[in-house]
Amino acid sequence: MMSSTNTPLFEVLGATKEFGATLALEDASLTLRAGEVHALMGENGAGKSTLIKVMAGVTHADAVAYRMDGRPVHIGGAADAFRLGLRFIHQELNIVPQLSVAENMHMGQRYPRRLGMFVHWGELYRRSQQVLDTLGVGYISPRAIIARLSAGDQMLAKIASAFMPDAGDASRPARVYVLDEPTAALTGEEAERLFGVIQALTAQGCAVLYVSHRMDEIFRIAQRVTVMRDGRVVSESLIADTTPDVLIHDMTGRTLETLYPPRQSAISPEPLLSVEGLVTTKIRAVSFTLARGEIMGVAGLSASGRTELLRALMGADRKLSGRVALRGKVVNWISPRRSWDRGLAYVPEERRSQGLVLSRSIEDNAVLPHLDAFSRGRVFVNRRRERRETESLALATRLKARHPSQVVRELSGGNQQKVVFARALAGRPDVLLLDEPTRGIDVSAKHDIYQLIRQKSADGCGVLLVSSDLPELIGLCDRILVMRAGRAHAVVSAANLTQADLLRLCYGEKIS
Amino acid sequence: MNTTPSIPHPARQIGRILRRFGTLIGFFAIVLFFWSQRPDTFMTVRNWLNITQQISILGVVAFTMTVVMVMGDYDLSVGAMASLGGIAAALLFQQEMPVLTGIAVALLIGVAGGLLNGVLVSLVGITPFVATLGMLTVFSGVAFFISEGETIFGRAIPEQFSDFARGGIPLGTIGEQAVLLPNLTIVALLVLLAVWVLLEQTTFGRRLYAIGGNKEAARLGGVRLRLLRLIAFAVTGVGAAVAGLMLVSRLASANPTQGDGLMLDAIAAVFLGMTMSEEGEPHVLGTLVGVLILGVLRNGLTQLAIDSYVQQILTGAIIILAVTLSRLIRRAS
Repeated sequence: MMSSTNTPLFEVLGATKEFGATLALEDASLTLRAGEVHALMGENGAGKSTLIKVMAGVTHADAVAYRMDGRPVHIGGAADAFRLGLRFIHQELNIVPQLSVAENMHMGQRYPRRLGMFVHWGELYRRSQQVLDTLGVGYISPRAIIARLSAGDQMLAKIASAFMPDAGDASRPARVYVLDEPTAALTGEEAERLFGVIQALTAQGCAVLYVSHRMDEIFRIAQRVTVMRDGRVVSESLIADTTPDVLIHDMTGRTLETLYPPRQSAISPEPLLSVEGLVTTKIRAVSFTLARGEIMGVAGLSASGRTELLRALMGADRKLSGRVALRGKVVNWISPRRSWDRGLAYVPEERRSQGLVLSRSIEDNAVLPHLDAFSRGRVFVNRRRERRETESLALATRLKARHPSQVVRELSGGNQQKVVFARALAGRPDVLLLDEPTRGIDVSAKHDIYQLIRQKSADGCGVLLVSSDLPELIGLCDRILVMRAGRAHAVVSAANLTQADLLRLCYGEKIS
Repeated sequence: MNTTPSIPHPARQIGRILRRFGTLIGFFAIVLFFWSQRPDTFMTVRNWLNITQQISILGVVAFTMTVVMVMGDYDLSVGAMASLGGIAAALLFQQEMPVLTGIAVALLIGVAGGLLNGVLVSLVGITPFVATLGMLTVFSGVAFFISEGETIFGRAIPEQFSDFARGGIPLGTIGEQAVLLPNLTIVALLVLLAVWVLLEQTTFGRRLYAIGGNKEAARLGGVRLRLLRLIAFAVTGVGAAVAGLMLVSRLASANPTQGDGLMLDAIAAVFLGMTMSEEGEPHVLGTLVGVLILGVLRNGLTQLAIDSYVQQILTGAIIILAVTLSRLIRRAS
């Protein structure tokens, strides 16, 4: 996709921004070229978001210059950025869930009208459909209520809206797209579609700035990568000339021996959790056995039932039939309360909506499932014990916070995830049910979490790990259960498994 | 990444203090105002003991209302429940039943009514607003039905019972007269203590706050959502029945509407208290400040001989002002 027009399209030069005593940006420059996907990497807090906000005209830099097609331009506010053809797609989508796709695509624009006052609905849908078609996502209906679409399709519809020709003014077409961690909430399948759209964008001569923590994506779709650390640009290189190890080193300033710590203990032959013919409304007749100390990955496309498998085991969804045995004993009544008490621990898919009470403190969150265990007589809370436990968990997970009583809302995403993880570890669990435990967190935090998973497995914990990050599954797991259409499609050993093979399994093929 | 502009330290400190204690400062401002206007009568031990008695009944309702509001729920039926509990006890007194029987029945009605609210909200899944609004009408109807709309007073209410509200623990004497810590004030303090222990010191309370913060996360974190909601509504129901009994004792009479006004004041008090919490959560000590503000306003405005309708207007305006200010301060910082 290396376009022949490899000339600088948009340049940010010497961006510097001071927040109080800290330098959020220090002389950061970035050159985006036409027809190129430019990856921007860095740990949380490296300054990526600030740089993007400066480009968008949302944050005012203390010093910065811009060039478009080699000529100096001025960005004083969001309107300037828009006029120059810059479009921003953020992690958290600004959609109005109750409205249709077409209405969301026309947000902030004039609706087509009849007689100057009535909305011309036919024209609205037609225009939207046209844009969706151009991007190759014509299967999304402009009439659909956007909340009913999958997270991925919502993202694609939102991206498409950046393509709407601004009513009657064709002179400001979009030229630069900035995507901030667009795949954080997407499944593999949805991400594929997004990559298709990105390819269509660059083919038309647009420049794409792509922020992501996921190495495999960067190496697949980007041509150039810039790494930031502590507000500075530390390296810029062609993807072809670099490797993940080099990038990790640039991001962290240290070498991570390997991202995935190797197994050092043996798996015991003792079965810990055995499941036979488990059925809920979302999964059908799933059977498998998890041994003590084993890490079993759960792979699958969206709606394959991988998340729902964990929910069923935890008791979040009701079990309709099937047999679940824990430590050799059949368990009949499954509810979240009972599961925690039985030694299962759960890290749900969405930390903010399912995992955390954002308005409460770190310690309140960490001990919530284990309140009885840390209480006096199961009635009165014992703050001293809670505090001691939270402090040791914070140490174990390398949680960065001011104090155990700090409100969780104030923490960064990676540290919030560590609180969810700490909560799972607090009860000395036997089985860890982990759903996307490293989604949207930076490399260092990921590494910490991988080491914790390893350590718990060495302690004799059984781990079920749902992830859409294939290298993570292959790097960490002993076996991988592949879910497809609510069924267990295959169970394979992760040793010598390639990503391509795993992906093929997810799509329903068999491999020898 | 999320580098928020760092405000110089003292300014941030002041912002924090205003956010947390602004409402308390407002309360002291109101006290100072009345003190300056009525220097001889307002800031006296006797008047303050009087205020605590005046607000004791509202206090009991508001403290127990805090329990459901911590979960993000409401109970609109507390006023009607207070009327119903009171009239039920008075009817039994009229039948010359023992005082303790009347009290026990009223409390049982409180528990049952609260559980009924809880069932509708947590098992049937009706929003608290609609469920308790419906039950408000039901309780009120039952109160009218069993009393046939009559007021029960005079000798029907045993002296033993109505004396309770007039009595108290002697604190000493000022001049010729004995000064009493009113029994009703003591009841309110006991309820305050009980609710404070329940919400702030027990695992139950901790779980209620988790429910209020994020219901789904609480459920997945092993909180028995339905059971706890049920119990919390029962607590609020009992609180309303206790308040109903206190009203009958204080007025030495019972009619089917005498508790109705408590509901709005109780919710207002909890909201005033919520302005004192960083995360906008209800806390029972905040509710206490809310109740004190309402009580002091009523007492002070009456001493200034302000018309009771005008008092209503002023009280409403002050509540809105307090909540608005707290929002503005929050936005500014």
